[in-house]
Amino acid sequence: MKRAALAALIVFLLTLPLFAGSDAVARIMPRGLSGSALLNVFLLIFLFGYLAQSWNILGGFAGQLSLGHAAFFGLGAYTSTLLYTEFGLSPWLGMPVGMAVAGLFGLAIGFVSFHYRLAGPFFTLATIAFAELIRLTALHLKFTGGSMGILIPLQGNSFWHFQFTGKTPYYYIALAMLAAVTALIWWMSRSRIGHYLHAIRQDEDAAEAIGIDTRRYKLIAATLSAALTGAGGTLYAQYTQYIVPDDVFAVGMSVEIILRAIVGGSATVFGPVVGSFILTPVAEATRVLFSGGGSGAAIVKLFASDAALEAKLSGYFKFLAAGGGGGGALMLYGLILIFTCLVMPAGAIPWLRRRFGQ
Amino acid sequence: MNRLLEASGVTVTFGGLTAVNAVDCHVDEGEIVGLIGPNGAGKTTFFNAISGFRRPDRGTVTFRGQNILGLRPHKISHMGMSRTFQIVKPFPEMTVLDNVMVGAFSVHASPARAREAALKALEAVRFSGWAHRLASDLPVAGRKRLEVAKVMACDPKLILLDEVMAGLTPSEHNEMIDAVRNIRSSGITVMIIEHVMPVIMNLCDRIYVLHHGDLICEGAPAAVVRDPEVVRAYLGEDFAL
Repeated sequence: MKRAALAALIVFLLTLPLFAGSDAVARIMPRGLSGSALLNVFLLIFLFGYLAQSWNILGGFAGQLSLGHAAFFGLGAYTSTLLYTEFGLSPWLGMPVGMAVAGLFGLAIGFVSFHYRLAGPFFTLATIAFAELIRLTALHLKFTGGSMGILIPLQGNSFWHFQFTGKTPYYYIALAMLAAVTALIWWMSRSRIGHYLHAIRQDEDAAEAIGIDTRRYKLIAATLSAALTGAGGTLYAQYTQYIVPDDVFAVGMSVEIILRAIVGGSATVFGPVVGSFILTPVAEATRVLFSGGGSGAAIVKLFASDAALEAKLSGYFKFLAAGGGGGGALMLYGLILIFTCLVMPAGAIPWLRRRFGQ
Repeated sequence: MNRLLEASGVTVTFGGLTAVNAVDCHVDEGEIVGLIGPNGAGKTTFFNAISGFRRPDRGTVTFRGQNILGLRPHKISHMGMSRTFQIVKPFPEMTVLDNVMVGAFSVHASPARAREAALKALEAVRFSGWAHRLASDLPVAGRKRLEVAKVMACDPKLILLDEVMAGLTPSEHNEMIDAVRNIRSSGITVMIIEHVMPVIMNLCDRIYVLHHGDLICEGAPAAVVRDPEVVRAYLGEDFAL
């Protein structure tokens, strides 16, 4: 039963691009949204699922709560993009270089933090500071395009240039990356490194006492996690074809990544994927439904008027969504996070497992 | 007889307080050596000092002829000396078997081999029946036994047991005594901190007594309990013989 449902989901995901453009889909999509918007939502589910999985290695398995993964994401995006715009190097080759750069930064922040025994909230603070440092650096350097960011020159449909006019190729690339990272984590969870990281998260002294070089394994986790996150940055850059520091290096990006892992269940094999399936559509729906907005003064006026309560609330939501770029999404995130903490503190996967057995 | 552990002049201070004061001690292969003393005598601190968790301020520690001072705990564990914790430290979200596999992985890289070794270690402490329970579900006696199984899985030469009997019922004591004897007969040397005197008398070949950080007595169990210094340390001046 469960197996059949999983197989059906996989078949659905694999074939979605084939029928996303059909009339039948157009008829059931709300408010004239196109099949292409549907593909976009799934693509973002995969991308953020991939990022959350990458985070899961360090933040979930090893229990080192990084809130600076935007740094690795952005480093991957900027490395492959700069190599492409400056030297014409294919982003396919830029991607592993970006992974190496992000991995090296992960290694560095890990080395400094673990050497000076930064643990718990202090490690988290260090990662935030580190990501902000990188963001500010990118904002003020000339060759990164400063606050204007970098626009990737369009080349049309070209595999070598990692550019496609349609969404379908990106869709499959993102799906493949998500599947690959999930397979990696599944393998890890059964092997020595997975046991070691779980042990380190649950009791570092006990882990040390039975032969685990805890510092070394935390460093491996930081490096691997950062490098994988960097590859996600390249995909994002190629898909949006425009990167800017306040987007890819922002704390908000780290939060987007981390929330999916926590809501789905961090330190589990499928939690971050489930989390992305839950949160990404919420984020996209609020972006679409609550677009528009208006000024603060208009909202005050609306609330003072004798408009119906629904009108007031919908106006308020639109206002939130328009201000702060996705305020509505953030509010819903907040609600979902509160719900998660209260009802299923370990995340969706452990909660479901407890409710419905294995 | 083969000398496994040799500590000399080991001193640990916390600020102005000397927790362990110039303690000399040794453990030979095949022995069960007890370390006793009233609360706060410095027993656990001494374990911390020789297992790499706290670097002693002075003194030397050699294990199997090698200087291990300043080595981190995992290195010392790899050399063959592993310790348990008085305040047990299970990995609560894992099953008992997975807990023990973590230890076994330091000897076997392959999950299948590690699993096999872990099952063997569970067998050694008579704990196989609990392999698939979650560690957080274990009662105290189970947690203590899990501590021992975890270090056993590391394929040690010497294990340091820190109060593995505390909080157990007398019948559980007997099971644990049986487990420790079984460990020794499989060729592993044991150093054990314990408060439960019958256990110590029963198990140990030799005993060291710590009091306020000083080593006040060393010898066979029967001699140690008659030592006036020891009686005074445990019962106070009034009871001095």
